Amino acid sequence: MVPDIPLAWFLLFADATFAVGLFGVLTRRNPIALLMAIEIMLNAANLNLLAFWRYGTPAVGDGPLTGVVFAVIVITIAAAEVAVGIALVLLCYRRWKTADVDRYDTLSG
Amino acid sequence: MPTTTPQPLVPLAREWLLIAPELWLALWGLVVLLADVAFFRDAPSARRARFLGILALDGTLIALLLALARVVPSPLGIELTNQDYSIFGGTLAADPSTAWLSLAVLILLSLLLVLSPTWDFTDHWGEFFALVLWSTVAMLLLIAAEELLTLFLALETMTLCLYVIAALERDRKRSSEAGLKYFVYGSVASAFFLFGLSLIFGLTGTTRLHAVREALVGSAGSLGLEGNIAGSVAVLLVLVGLGFKLAAVPFHAWAPDTYEGAPAPAASWIATGSKLASFVAATKILAVALGGWAAQTGSPDTPGWALPVALISAASMTLGNLAALSQRNFKRLLAYSSIAQAGYVLVGVVAAGVSRDPARAVGAVLFYMVTYSFATLGAFAVAAWLARDLGTDELDDLDGLGRRRPIMALCLLVLMLSLIGLPPFAGFFGKLALFMSALETGESGRLSLTWLVALGLINSAISAYYYVRVLRAMYLRPARGDVGRSLPSGVFWPLTVGAAVALFFGLIPGALFEPMQAAAVPLLASGEDPRGLSPETNPFATRPTEEDAARARELRRQQIEQGRQRLQPGTPGA
Repeated sequence: MVPDIPLAWFLLFADATFAVGLFGVLTRRNPIALLMAIEIMLNAANLNLLAFWRYGTPAVGDGPLTGVVFAVIVITIAAAEVAVGIALVLLCYRRWKTADVDRYDTLSG
Repeated sequence: MPTTTPQPLVPLAREWLLIAPELWLALWGLVVLLADVAFFRDAPSARRARFLGILALDGTLIALLLALARVVPSPLGIELTNQDYSIFGGTLAADPSTAWLSLAVLILLSLLLVLSPTWDFTDHWGEFFALVLWSTVAMLLLIAAEELLTLFLALETMTLCLYVIAALERDRKRSSEAGLKYFVYGSVASAFFLFGLSLIFGLTGTTRLHAVREALVGSAGSLGLEGNIAGSVAVLLVLVGLGFKLAAVPFHAWAPDTYEGAPAPAASWIATGSKLASFVAATKILAVALGGWAAQTGSPDTPGWALPVALISAASMTLGNLAALSQRNFKRLLAYSSIAQAGYVLVGVVAAGVSRDPARAVGAVLFYMVTYSFATLGAFAVAAWLARDLGTDELDDLDGLGRRRPIMALCLLVLMLSLIGLPPFAGFFGKLALFMSALETGESGRLSLTWLVALGLINSAISAYYYVRVLRAMYLRPARGDVGRSLPSGVFWPLTVGAAVALFFGLIPGALFEPMQAAAVPLLASGEDPRGLSPETNPFATRPTEEDAARARELRRQQIEQGRQRLQPGTPGA
């Protein structure tokens, strides 16, 4: 099975996705949107991992599925991260009655 | 094609025994959580804190015994002191470095567990202790990780637990804010880090640290990053991620807010345990896996990660110290102090990359981090005590402490002098070792890191000013109001142990230096499979024959060629 799409396309797509996520992190003020942007960044890395796995050969001594396993575990981590993130966002929302990270500003200096 | 040989039972059981402390602690976290739900549901919070604290401490002490069995020759036959193992298919190291450092982390954890219940800051004690235990498990695994995926998983588990405990203080808005800020910065940093790791995986085709190293440099010496754009991007992304975890400038913005807002026990664990483990991981990634990209052999100022890390180190020292000068809050002061301290330790990390004797530099890093962790934990114990009895943690609250609580003030004096780096305290020898290891690089034609060392010395002098402010408040100012009720033993122990460590290893630095030097060597070296047949008996590994490898290479070449042809019309090559 010979892949039709060159590796570089996947990499460019992953880079673009990462940039979108980063842009979201920097511009969004809603904490839920921030979480989504972080997820996009993690998924960009997953794209990279899978593309490199599909097009590369495993190093001697490594398993045949390193990239896939890595990606699956990253997905799991991302899920855990969202769970913790939502909990923290809810906690802040309950205390400030607002979902705007700029308003959470009791600490500074 | 890949065939797996059946595992002999005994070596596998041995591997499980080698991570017994980690397994035990993970289990004990569940025990604590269940005990809280089953027995202490209706008990008042302070009582729950006391009982669960003792329960968690018991489990930790057992884990400590299990960890001790890894350093001393034991009847189990786990004699590790002179071995360099990697276990579980090469994902974890089981050698003197993990054995000694896990001991240090577990002792710190015991002190933290003694400290935590003294101050009734939350209603969720079961969760607090369980998360502290689990974050410690992750720290131990992070220290032992020999492979990028394991390392990332451990790092994430650790920080996810820490995000939550930072936000656990009840009644205080600032605690939840601290948790959220830590979370947002931390997870963005993880995303950067992961993206960098994915590039490293792509460039080398492997995730094992030593295999990455070999793929990058082969048998040649260090090459640096001259003309290597993909490699540079990967290094930069990894540095961003690590910089956040280590709270190094310019990625430090979360640290002061988190340290100030989080309850003192949580902040102390972020500042000590997690930092110790993160530094070990950073050293492993930079000096071991990416060792070939440090700089060209013989000329450390060529492109490579050594130069940016040196700049990050310089910025952390300078900005951390300057910002600390104007702080009024004790915990915030400690935060900036820990940023500056991270700068000093990064000097050692740079040295580990470019030095002729990397093991010495790594030994210095480990020595410094261990003594720093004990000193900082002691200082945070004082912060916890202030918050408990006075409700604030301002620097002015320490006024007159020297007369009211002479022993406590004396301990804090020792800790501050050690953090400044004055002899005869451990901080002095730590700094000396770090800076000496950096000067070791200065041979003919090499960029000596002299400027960095000079900056470090100037910064030590600046830092003396704000550490002495603490001492001035304690000894020269009159007491204002009541300086707290009785001194609880929970505060007493971390403080005195911290001071004792600073004093003991200051007077006899060799007692810690030698184990840390012994730990540094296997940390840098490639571990052996305990069955002695890696990777042949590794059930997780493919063993491609020469033929398979050649076929795979040919296929890959064809794929790349086809891709390039496809791109030809119009688009420039892939």
